[in-house]
Amino acid sequence: MSDYLVLVVEDSDEDVEAIARAIGRSHPQVRVEFLRAGTEVLPRLTAPGAELPRLVLLDLNMPGEGGLEVIRRVRAEPALAGLTLVVFTSSEDQAEADACFAAGADSYIYKPINFALFRTVLRQTLDYWGKVAPTVVPPPGDSATRT
Amino acid sequence: MSGGGQVWATALHRLWRAVATIGAREDLAALVLPPLQALPGVIAVWGVRHAADGAGIAALRWRGLPVDEAQAARLLATGGAEIPPELREQGVHRVVAAGFEVPGELSGSILLLASADADAPSLTECLGQVVDVTREAVRRLGARRAAEEEQVRDALLAEASLQMDAVLDTGQTLQRVARMAVPAIAEGCLVYVCSDDELGLRSAVHVDMRKLDAMLADAAAAGALAELAGRAVAGRPERLRAVTGWTRTVDAQVLRARGRVVGVLLFLFDRGDELIPSPAFLRDLTHRAALAIDNGELYEQRRREMIALQQHLLPRRLPAPAGVALAASYTVGDQVLEVGGDFYDVVVRADGVLAALIGDVCGRGVEAAALTGMSRHTLGTLLQEGVSPARALGRLNAGLLRDGSWRFVTAGVGLIRPAGGGLSVQWTSAGHPPPVVLRRGGPAEPGRGGGVPLGVVRKPSVGRSRLLLGPGDTLLMFTDGLTESRDACGRLFEDAGLEAALDKLNGAPLDELVHELSRAAAEFGTTGADDIAVLALRASGE
Repeated sequence: MSDYLVLVVEDSDEDVEAIARAIGRSHPQVRVEFLRAGTEVLPRLTAPGAELPRLVLLDLNMPGEGGLEVIRRVRAEPALAGLTLVVFTSSEDQAEADACFAAGADSYIYKPINFALFRTVLRQTLDYWGKVAPTVVPPPGDSATRT
Repeated sequence: MSGGGQVWATALHRLWRAVATIGAREDLAALVLPPLQALPGVIAVWGVRHAADGAGIAALRWRGLPVDEAQAARLLATGGAEIPPELREQGVHRVVAAGFEVPGELSGSILLLASADADAPSLTECLGQVVDVTREAVRRLGARRAAEEEQVRDALLAEASLQMDAVLDTGQTLQRVARMAVPAIAEGCLVYVCSDDELGLRSAVHVDMRKLDAMLADAAAAGALAELAGRAVAGRPERLRAVTGWTRTVDAQVLRARGRVVGVLLFLFDRGDELIPSPAFLRDLTHRAALAIDNGELYEQRRREMIALQQHLLPRRLPAPAGVALAASYTVGDQVLEVGGDFYDVVVRADGVLAALIGDVCGRGVEAAALTGMSRHTLGTLLQEGVSPARALGRLNAGLLRDGSWRFVTAGVGLIRPAGGGLSVQWTSAGHPPPVVLRRGGPAEPGRGGGVPLGVVRKPSVGRSRLLLGPGDTLLMFTDGLTESRDACGRLFEDAGLEAALDKLNGAPLDELVHELSRAAAEFGTTGADDIAVLALRASGE
């Protein structure tokens, strides 16, 4: 696993600080970029010449455009179809998880309260997705065949 | 002390201080190799991390000449006695090696590749000192990692218990069980549950849900996983490598609660063995999950029994006498699994007179439920046989006192007869809330209550009153759950909401009236502590 970029979409100051601290400790070589609102995601990803992140870590409950809407909008962009979208939320509502998967999320991760656990969950998430080869070309047809 | 000795002492001191702050074994080489490379005559320093099985090399680090794995292995095997020609060409004529071992950690070695004029005894002494520092650093890193892992596992167990205990719905519990494990301790978690002697996959979570979908769609993989789960239920839980091509390791743990096998958890790992939690930890987590699932199932079973019992305490259907419309509503006010004590019924006497009864046994639970059933059947049977309301209530009072129950019962009976174009109601009350007459297009008029609750005094005392209903007028009978519903300020629905609700519902169809009135009272209240029974009858229009 080498140097790569993680885009974090998170409105909470506390969670931004915690995520930066956790990734900084577990993956010092990973670059982290924060967006504070769902509406900033698409302009950031579709800007000409923009560096695409290895994965997007997405909060679900944000004022304005929530995480679910962000997933739908990103998945509607053919050029971003291969982008890994990881929902990182404190919501335990299974219906929300189902809606996220239906919209095209790759992963739905529970955000623990305990910081040691929080750090472990983020470390394992980045370990897993950091090893998975990034999909440069959008997969044709059935996305379920992509692993 | 010589100048070189002073420099070395300073470097060694700096190494020992750095041991306390180093965060990862990967940072060790940058710390310990440069001072060794600076020693007189040293051409290169190679650091070797041995593989767990002791046979291979897990990692190599170097300063000076780039390390070659085969050459490093040969030098280690011969204790530096056989120096490969390629290294001799680079000026290496002496090799000093030292190793260290720390229980539970990968062992390591450091090789000093030196020129012919190097002071071998001095290099050996210096290397020994650095190996001491390195050993201590590895020991501390291991201890810190173990403490962090323990902290994480404690936190996971606590959070898992909290999450699973927060719900009693079995389906939600199953989802939470799997979701709590991923990805903190495993890449995936499958929950198989025993039902009717069959083991079925009820919940599945993976850090990569597309991969999970594809794995479960692969019949061979899904079959292999189901077989593993089946063997675990049969008493052979296993941890296996490469059960399917989709995942590296699978660990099966049996969900067992109160001696009963509830199902199986399969933990799917794509990570290295060193990052897989111990079977003891997985067993602990699985045991907590089993208890949560078992609690959910017991709750669901009890809830079904409660609903069945509650339904048996109320009439299956109301009669449909000519000239009178009837409707009733029962709202369970508490989520606690206990049967409430409200009851109502309507019976038709042989002479065609209608007897509407409503009552409330104080308290909830099995004993209250038994008295509720007894009270409804006693009153209903006696009234149907033509016994007067006062006498029927008296018989129930005697029965309650004879049984020695501490519980009392309030009840009201309306005998309804045709009168002119409407109905006459003979209302008899034993401590029950007075009924309300809702005049067609007019205001609500309270009736009269009176009397003493049954089961309290030997000689029953009842309140008697007479009401007349014109065509379209409605008689509302209810229990105190309606009127005594309280808002956050402690105000009663009777004082702060009933009149407005009745005004709003005046003229509404009878079914809508009883249900909306109950709903208004329930929403007005903040505690939802009491059940609400409402029984309404309306004189048919002209």
